[in-house]
Amino acid sequence: MSSKFSGIIQINDLDDFIGPGQECVKPVKLEKKPTKKAGLIQIIDETGLQEAPKPKVQKAKISLDDCLACSGCVTSAETVLINQQSTDELFKIIENNKKHIENQKFCHVKKIIVSISPQSRASLAARYNLDLETCTKKLCGFFKNYFNAEFVFDTTFSREFSLIESEREFVERFRKFQSNSSSVKLPILTSSCPGWICYAEKTHGSFILPYISTVKSPQQVMGSLVKDYLCKNIFDMTPDNIYHVSIMPCYDKKLESSRKEFYNEFHQSKDVDCVLSTIEIESLFQKENIDLSSIQDSDLDLPFSLSKNQISVKKELEKQSLLYNHEGGGSGGYLEHVLINSAKVLFDFDLSRDQIVYKQLRNTDFKEVNLEINGEVKLRFALAYGFRNIQNIVQKIKKNNCHYHYIEIMACPSGCLNGGGQIRDESTNSLSKELFEKVENIYYSVKAQILRDNIFVKSLYESDWLNNDEINLKRNLHTTYHEVEKITNGLSIKW
Amino acid sequence: MLKLVTTLAGHDDMVWCVAWNPKGNLLASCGGDHSVRIWSQKGQNGEEANQWTCRAKLSDGHSRTIRWVSWSPCGKKLATASFDTTIIIWKQKNDFDFEIIANLEGHENEVKCTAWSIDGSFLASCSRDRSVWVWDVSEDEEYECSSVLTSHSQDVKHVLWNPHKNILVSSSYDNSIKMYQQDVDDWINTETLESHQSTVWSCDYNPEGTRLISCSDDKTLKLWKEDPEKKNKSSWSCYSTISGFHNRTIYSVKWSKTNNLIATASADNSIHIFKENESSDANEPTLLLLEHKENAHCQDCNCIDWNPVQNNLLASCSDDGTVKIWKFDE
Amino acid sequence: MVVENVNPSVYQKLEERKLSQTDYDNDYEDMIDEREVFDMIRNLQDPEHPLSLEELNVLDIDSVTIDNKAYLCKVEFTPTIPHCSMATLIGLSIKVKLLRSLPTKFKTEVSIKAGTHASETAINKQLADKERVAAALENVHLLQVVNKCLEDEYNR
Repeated sequence: MSSKFSGIIQINDLDDFIGPGQECVKPVKLEKKPTKKAGLIQIIDETGLQEAPKPKVQKAKISLDDCLACSGCVTSAETVLINQQSTDELFKIIENNKKHIENQKFCHVKKIIVSISPQSRASLAARYNLDLETCTKKLCGFFKNYFNAEFVFDTTFSREFSLIESEREFVERFRKFQSNSSSVKLPILTSSCPGWICYAEKTHGSFILPYISTVKSPQQVMGSLVKDYLCKNIFDMTPDNIYHVSIMPCYDKKLESSRKEFYNEFHQSKDVDCVLSTIEIESLFQKENIDLSSIQDSDLDLPFSLSKNQISVKKELEKQSLLYNHEGGGSGGYLEHVLINSAKVLFDFDLSRDQIVYKQLRNTDFKEVNLEINGEVKLRFALAYGFRNIQNIVQKIKKNNCHYHYIEIMACPSGCLNGGGQIRDESTNSLSKELFEKVENIYYSVKAQILRDNIFVKSLYESDWLNNDEINLKRNLHTTYHEVEKITNGLSIKW
Repeated sequence: MLKLVTTLAGHDDMVWCVAWNPKGNLLASCGGDHSVRIWSQKGQNGEEANQWTCRAKLSDGHSRTIRWVSWSPCGKKLATASFDTTIIIWKQKNDFDFEIIANLEGHENEVKCTAWSIDGSFLASCSRDRSVWVWDVSEDEEYECSSVLTSHSQDVKHVLWNPHKNILVSSSYDNSIKMYQQDVDDWINTETLESHQSTVWSCDYNPEGTRLISCSDDKTLKLWKEDPEKKNKSSWSCYSTISGFHNRTIYSVKWSKTNNLIATASADNSIHIFKENESSDANEPTLLLLEHKENAHCQDCNCIDWNPVQNNLLASCSDDGTVKIWKFDE
Repeated sequence: MVVENVNPSVYQKLEERKLSQTDYDNDYEDMIDEREVFDMIRNLQDPEHPLSLEELNVLDIDSVTIDNKAYLCKVEFTPTIPHCSMATLIGLSIKVKLLRSLPTKFKTEVSIKAGTHASETAINKQLADKERVAAALENVHLLQVVNKCLEDEYNR
């Protein structure tokens, strides 16, 4: 099966695609006991020795966390991941829900929430030749009817928080760097791409981690919103009773949702339970012979507790659509947002979007942008997509040769719109230039808005959940990274 | 007749690779003792001497076996590939003085081979991590990754550039040979040559760059050429398989650009020299055996290289720790 | 994770080598024979169980083939179970022992006996690849494990 993970994840794996049963040798330190007590050997008769009946041993199951913690192969994890996060798994949950309702065991019923990414809905709209608004309405209808989803959210909303936090983080680090350059590291490398994070943790570990932004990706901010904020404020249930599905443009996001940092130990619940890629939704439509255009419309929801701010929020909702976008590219627009904000906050300079000039360097996926004020370059930002450009950036940083202050890093060439899980051309099974442009145009067909000055985001920052408090912000909107230990157990080294 | 000119001893472990510089007056060898040795016929004071001696030992670069050494087209730089996962670029300061000018990291594990493109603007490398990397060589000696190609499904053993254009060829443990070309700002896999039954260890182009010869663990040599009629993916195909000459794995094959002869080095300790058969008779073998030097070395023969300037001069190296120079008289 | 094959079958050892007339003759050139090679490798330790490869029937006297004219030594081994994940490591240990004990002019081939392992083709190819073996033995951690399999024979 060809891997739909990003090129970086593929390059990192050293194995052929082998099921976890055969190749996965989770390193176990074997204690060598003195020979006298080898195995259980029963002497039966003179002709030889016979093995004692084997004790019933439970089949060793490697959980995904074990898999990710071991720095061996990612491909064995692939099979595990795809089994655990698939439409089949989701339908199992739906089936179980039905059974529980029949048996009147309502407390066992899991509430299904779906979050969809803007890249996925653009890709689906292109595929089914619908305009973005219609496609989104149809998808909401689909999720609410077929997936029995109670709410459908758009991760563009949670991306607001990722962008705001990224802006804040840069300003803070930049100021610290100016006053004492040894206390913090520049450039800041964005963190929303799990393919990049995986590679950084496994290959460059403790060296590169201090450079990486601590802001959570939109998927995981939504995870926190759903499993923490909404559970406490609307659902009034524990997070393990929610099954959060997110629709993403790549498979790497499945890896991200399985990280330890995004797992609530106490409630034994993941912030995002199941990531489905765009193509998995497409093949579901094909398998079930679903015609998207004929599905009943429904609307997007807002992950916001309406009970407290009912009247004013209702007015706001009437004023604007929940379907909107952010400027700055199909991967979220981190570079542009941070640049514009920094220009204002650090240098009191009003930079408008059309003043941002990208200079292409060695290839289309490596660009730089400078902030020039009165002929002086104040900030140097860059965009680096794809493994080869990431390689060069990391090597530059290692050689102390990197003059940038902020770099938006994505594992996939051309960014998230070209993610490994996005729908491809039927004939060539690759994303042609035409198809990519089509998806891009659809992606930008909705108005770009900034809701941060809006009541929703402001309210959330002022709510108990965040309260503009350092600790809450760190817990809900930021994350940490860990170096993956290299294998030193000789028994499991691949040669 | 293949006559031994000299045996060069000095390496403390097996020698994996030999390479003549473009001028043909220096021979580089590298191996398991983590060093590169430069051999020449010049004496201590620069005078011509009959003796070949080791004039330089580059040993402070790599921490593990150096698997491959190759000279840049200008003859002033060396690229070494090592099991320590790095590639080092050495620059000749003067005659036998080399200094490290770059250390290229990025491969996940052992690097097997490096190759400079004919114009010296690209460096290719390959590794057990299944990838082939193309590096941009800029004027100020900055080596930046231009592309990471992961078309092979297994360990890549060898990379080679076409002698006339920027076409890259890689040979792999997955039994196939792949070709790559530039497409806009990236490199893509344009051809896959499949026919060998086991690991393809090496290959070489004929002087015109129109045919390819490959050698393999399946003990055969295969000749490939392009079919100008076919426009689709697989226009290169195998037109001849040469078997029965080698008893064990063939590690190295070189097609001389000066005398058009083909030399092979094999794990059966032997060196073979072949010539293309002029006859166009389909029943005639494609290659004629000119020389079978049994026990050219006491152990596996790992690499062979024709001198690019001095006609009929050949260098070989072996697990036995020696490098040998031969003269071939037709 | 559980160690596979917790209770392996243990087999009887081959009896001592009987000395022959020619062994006492100093002028007689002793060729390396199967028994000599077998004696080199029979006591190699299994990486998981504190038993030798002979005791586990991974190797027996028929595993070895010597061709003195061609200086070729072939060893075929039988993993204890068809999915044994230590098969590659066992093969590597045998290969290392032969490389260290036989004269350099000998070529060594270590392979899994046909039909006894699920991945025998892949493992045999790996063991036959001189470059892969050489690189593997430069890995400190792997070498430690291999050396353990070789050294433990002295403690028996």
